[in-house]
Amino acid sequence: MTYRDLLPRESLLWIFAAQLAVLLPHFARLPLWIVAGWIAAVYWRAEVSRGRRPLPGRAFKLVAVAGVLAGLVLSYRQWFALEPMVALLAVSFTLKNLELVTRRDAFLSLLLAYFVAATLFVFEQGIPHAVYGTLAVLVVTAALAAQPGGPSARPRRALGLASRLLAQSVPLMLLLFLVMPRLGPLWAVPQDSASASTGVSDSMSPGDFARLSQSDEPALRITFDGPVPPPDQRYWRGLVYSDFDGRRWTQGFGVDPREGGRVTWRDSERALPEVGPRYRYQVIQEPTHNRWLFAMARPHSETGGVGETADDRLVRSEPVYSRLAYDVHSWPRDSLPGEPALSEFERRRNLQLPPVGNPRARAWASRLRERGLSPGEISAEILGFFNESFTYTLEPPRLGRDSVDAFLFDTRRGFCEHFAGSYVFMMRAAGVPARVVAGYQGGEWVEGEQYLLVRQYDAHAWAEIWSAGRGWHRIDPTGAVSPERIRDGLQRAAADEFMREALLPVHRIPLLNRLRLQWDMINYRWYRTVISFDSERQQDLLRDLLGEISAPRLALLVGLPAAMALLGIWGWLWLAGRGRPLPPAERLYKRFCRRLARSGIERESGEAPRDFAKRVARERPRLGPMAASITTAYERAAYADDPAAMKQLRRLLRGFWPLVRRG
Amino acid sequence: MAIPDAVRDEKGDTWSRRWRALHSAWLSRRAPAARAVTLDHRKLFILPTRAGLAFALVIVLLWLLGTNYENNLVFALAFLLASLFVVLPLHTFANLSGIEIRLLEAGTAFAGDFATARLALARDRDRRGEHIQLGWPAGDPVTVQVPGEGAVEVEVALPVMERGRVRAPRLRIETRFPLGLFRCWSWIDLDVEFLVYPQPRPAGPLPLGAALAEGESEQKRRGGDDFAGLRQYQLGHSPRQVAWKQFAAGRGLHSKDYESGVDSRLWLEWDLLAGRDIETRLGNLCQWVLDADRQQLAYGLRLPGRAIEPGLGPSHRDRLLAALALFPVQGV
Repeated sequence: MTYRDLLPRESLLWIFAAQLAVLLPHFARLPLWIVAGWIAAVYWRAEVSRGRRPLPGRAFKLVAVAGVLAGLVLSYRQWFALEPMVALLAVSFTLKNLELVTRRDAFLSLLLAYFVAATLFVFEQGIPHAVYGTLAVLVVTAALAAQPGGPSARPRRALGLASRLLAQSVPLMLLLFLVMPRLGPLWAVPQDSASASTGVSDSMSPGDFARLSQSDEPALRITFDGPVPPPDQRYWRGLVYSDFDGRRWTQGFGVDPREGGRVTWRDSERALPEVGPRYRYQVIQEPTHNRWLFAMARPHSETGGVGETADDRLVRSEPVYSRLAYDVHSWPRDSLPGEPALSEFERRRNLQLPPVGNPRARAWASRLRERGLSPGEISAEILGFFNESFTYTLEPPRLGRDSVDAFLFDTRRGFCEHFAGSYVFMMRAAGVPARVVAGYQGGEWVEGEQYLLVRQYDAHAWAEIWSAGRGWHRIDPTGAVSPERIRDGLQRAAADEFMREALLPVHRIPLLNRLRLQWDMINYRWYRTVISFDSERQQDLLRDLLGEISAPRLALLVGLPAAMALLGIWGWLWLAGRGRPLPPAERLYKRFCRRLARSGIERESGEAPRDFAKRVARERPRLGPMAASITTAYERAAYADDPAAMKQLRRLLRGFWPLVRRG
Repeated sequence: MAIPDAVRDEKGDTWSRRWRALHSAWLSRRAPAARAVTLDHRKLFILPTRAGLAFALVIVLLWLLGTNYENNLVFALAFLLASLFVVLPLHTFANLSGIEIRLLEAGTAFAGDFATARLALARDRDRRGEHIQLGWPAGDPVTVQVPGEGAVEVEVALPVMERGRVRAPRLRIETRFPLGLFRCWSWIDLDVEFLVYPQPRPAGPLPLGAALAEGESEQKRRGGDDFAGLRQYQLGHSPRQVAWKQFAAGRGLHSKDYESGVDSRLWLEWDLLAGRDIETRLGNLCQWVLDADRQQLAYGLRLPGRAIEPGLGPSHRDRLLAALALFPVQGV
């Protein structure tokens, strides 16, 4: 069974199984032709092993390589991304299958499979994927174990061996996981940018948030260090929309950091109070593929790569492609020192309105302004109007071209974006600087793990208005219509309409609801302990374990288990190499022979004890009689199982040692 | 002392030859020749195979992947495989350690053929030895599975080119269990010595009647009436009849044959083949011995300085072949 032998059929099947295991989760992501190509290559190779078809010739292989390259170029415009890389790996499996002949090819294919298994984790890091990835690695390892073919390739045997080997590797893996330093990215790598995700977007038009309310995906998980804000204070600001084009609210030019918006990346330039009330919390955000983060008003974060914008938001230097944890301090706006100021540019930006449209709303606003009301009074007037005759609904009717007019004076049924949008329109029209803020509001408190779970359906839009002396402050027009939405969440506020389109109304079954929460708790813990275990947490943990992080203590942490393992291995080798323990009589006789050998008479292999004794008598007459009686005693003790002889043997030997020493 | 690699390449430069000599001396100190060898950590060597090195490369690549994506699951996989890489050699080693290899029998062979040695592999602990390969560097390795209890017998073949007593080189025992990423091996010297007969070379028909001049007195003897028929059969090359007789006769068949009146005893003589070189002559004689044995003719052998009286039977044949095998190289 040399290295170059042809592969037995079983090992071929195992290789295909391993490839399938690692490719299966990628199938949805890969273009159809790659999947089809892989299946075709497997089929062809299986036919070859049945003798029905020859292996493809050189020309065919060249054509296949060219075709595959062309396919990749056509399928992927952007090369520096994750999907094309995985596609390339899948394609190399396919091509390798066409020349899977020797053991070397088999090893290559299986080592590649390990790598493909790892790429799954780059896309997904949830518990189900981790479990699946582990199983895939088990199958690949079993395929390696099955390569000699024959009985080793039996599934139970191969999988059993592989799981035993992997289980034995786990302790060392954990140790490495804990102590191996995390260096951080060495160079820029392609990110998973293609897949879209739901969430708050950088623009808001009527209907956007109602759509989000159909999703119960988690968006944020927030743990507090210290006091937890009451429900009506849980406003997680993500975006500020200052620009209105008559239908859509957007951030406006020059706000986004990519368009030159000013971001403070280091310590806050604005004076923040050293003492006083503040909320300290950590936000774990699901991937959004966007740069904005979510925090309560007046936030500050020390986490690397997180900066603060002029409109009191947090942004990240890189889009959030995978779950991200960041620590935030939030100061209530009222507690900040100094007189708030609004630059002329900011005032103009937050009074901007399209030149035409919504005449009825404008007329009403100018009437309010002419009455000489203060911003607070204008706001109260509008909120009172909302409260009197509006309905909060998840299924608002469609609005026409003058959407604000249609909403305010005709339909009067709307979701948060309708209330926030028309409120800010009215305030601006009445001459009060105002802006729409989008993010999440509320969240479900998970008692077991003490964190706040914010889901996509908690997405919300509200308003902020400027008043001299007070600065920007929050007004939530939705609260005027449906206070339950703010206090108890969407599910209470719109019980009949909530998640109506969901296939399975899980939220209506208490038991399932509880299970779902449990599952989220497990996920949360998984994320906190495993996925977000970065160098900072590593240092904390090591400090907890060792007291302080110093070279000798680290050496102790690694060296002690290693030394114990080495000791164990050494002991085991010693036991394994020693063979079966000898019966006592044999042991004594062996010692007798060794002693004689040291004094110059060596017993030859195969020499019978009796012959040996005779030879001893010939060569050392002085030892002769003693050797003869020892041999007799040994033979009786060893072969006749005579306890008396055993005793006699011991006694004789005790007398014998001094004799040899002298002679 | 045999040098394993020297068989393959005898023209190595002085340095490599010197190194081989050192290596072999070191090996023979570490693992001296014995009819039975128990493998232990003193005799076993272990290193990753080429696939094992590729596996290590995959670990490094995974670590880079994990570092660049700051992905803990990829890290975990890299560390799992790295730990596997540490655990594997223990298994590979344990697969060989404690196995006792015993030489049961070193067979005979003709030069240019394969000489086989019968070995027994056993291990007293309840652990199987899987996919163990045994073989001489020059021969094809044999794969065996050693049961947890009891022994397994295996025949290992070595190609032999020269007649005489051939001392086998060190035997290589190797395993790549369990994943083929590590190779554990040992060079063991089981004190195997093969008796290699000369390579048979066709030398024409048997020299029947060519040596009648000698040993007349014994030829004159005759037995009873029924011998005439028998005699005819023998001369008429019809061995089957005779074979039946000899089988029926059992052990005493030499003398019986002889007594039953083979008057033209066959002498295979060195001198009949004058004019050829020594090895060719020996090869020819070897072929004659085989032919005569096949035809069940009593035959004797005369070599310079040695004569073996005519006889029949396997042990007689082997005696003659051994005489040919051990014929001194610088003879005559």
